[in-house]
Amino acid sequence: MSHDVFDTLIAIYAVGALDGNDLAQLEAHLAGGCDRCEAALRESHEALAQLAPAGAGATSPAVPPEVKAELLRRIGEASVRRRAPERRRWVPWVAATAAAMVVSAMLTGGFVASRYEARLGQMARETTRVRDEVRRHEETLLAQLEVYRRVVELLGDPATRVVELRGSGPNAEASGRVVWHERAGGLLIVTKLPPLPAGKAYEAWTLGGPAPRPAGVFTVDASGQGSRKLEPAEGMPAKGFAVSIEPEGGAPEPTGPIVLASR
Amino acid sequence: MAGETLIRQMAAGDREAFGSFYDRYASLVYPLIVRIVRDRSDAADVLQDVFWEAWQSAASYDPSRGSPEAWMIMRARARAIDRVRALRRRGETFVAPMDEAVSAAPDVLGGDAAERAEDRGIIQGALGQLSVAQREVIELAYYAGLTQTEIAERLKQPLGTVKTRIRLGLERLREAVRRAP
Repeated sequence: MSHDVFDTLIAIYAVGALDGNDLAQLEAHLAGGCDRCEAALRESHEALAQLAPAGAGATSPAVPPEVKAELLRRIGEASVRRRAPERRRWVPWVAATAAAMVVSAMLTGGFVASRYEARLGQMARETTRVRDEVRRHEETLLAQLEVYRRVVELLGDPATRVVELRGSGPNAEASGRVVWHERAGGLLIVTKLPPLPAGKAYEAWTLGGPAPRPAGVFTVDASGQGSRKLEPAEGMPAKGFAVSIEPEGGAPEPTGPIVLASR
Repeated sequence: MAGETLIRQMAAGDREAFGSFYDRYASLVYPLIVRIVRDRSDAADVLQDVFWEAWQSAASYDPSRGSPEAWMIMRARARAIDRVRALRRRGETFVAPMDEAVSAAPDVLGGDAAERAEDRGIIQGALGQLSVAQREVIELAYYAGLTQTEIAERLKQPLGTVKTRIRLGLERLREAVRRAP
């Protein structure tokens, strides 16, 4: 935003006429520190101070003499209270007043402080929660982006093929695809696989040799989607792929039920 | 002795310094207070409040933020406007509806004929550099304590016009003071 807006607002502020949103806007701006506004404000106040005597009329009203006397009396009294509290007749009165002031300050201060502390605490918790959420979203998005990037990379090569996987048994709804390149390996993407209980994981297998070869362990999210980068199957062309349920750390050969397999 | 030094001594609890400070600045701020609150007995109360505050907050005076004159004038103007607004609020609550109360606010441009002639006589200073329209908005704000919105309503002018007038008026005022010795 151009500073011109604030040049206007600071002038109105200097004559004490700023209100509403403008006031809030300027105060926020000043809170951020602005030398230009500070200087303008200072200069305006000095100019207005010059104006004051001129604004009062040719015959300046005489200062009422009793005010100075009254002020000096108050100051004297205050310093007596401050410096000589041992004077008997002051003690009960001063003590009572002081006690009342302390109690009222504690009540007001304590009340205001606790309200604000509670509110600040709540805001801090909300901020932390939002920040964690944003970080989780970011991680998820980055992971997804990595998957897409890899798919695009693989699909750019004419030697890449896509293999369909179908669900079997109770998971007939589930399906999967492997984007596969013999030398570069591939990527397995699954949908509608049920999330597994703790201690269990899905394991991908490369088929084509004498026995299925382990290709990696993965899990799915709450919506049943998941993906897994597959290592190239060295020394044998992959003829097909399968997914089974295995212990969390994976198994050297399939032990659990097959949930997805290529035809 | 410089006003600044007096304030420093006041901060240290020097009552004599306060006496000198009062003698120097009471005649500066009192006419402003009278101009704003009008009633002399109210003005005397405000004058006392202003100096009592100055005595108590002397330690927080920062010369880099303004001269002692500006420090006192700002305080006097603020307390006087507080007084006027409190009176106006009381009036609004128990007597007059809002717009009547606003129009009943001290009429800085009106006043009686003698007063106006008086004003015309002495405003050959910085305010005289301003256009009538600029002077009007600055006086309504500074002496009558109206906000920009209230000024716009009172003058039946768009808020934007009022804002621009205040800014240009104050800029001209600052220039005039800068040029003055």
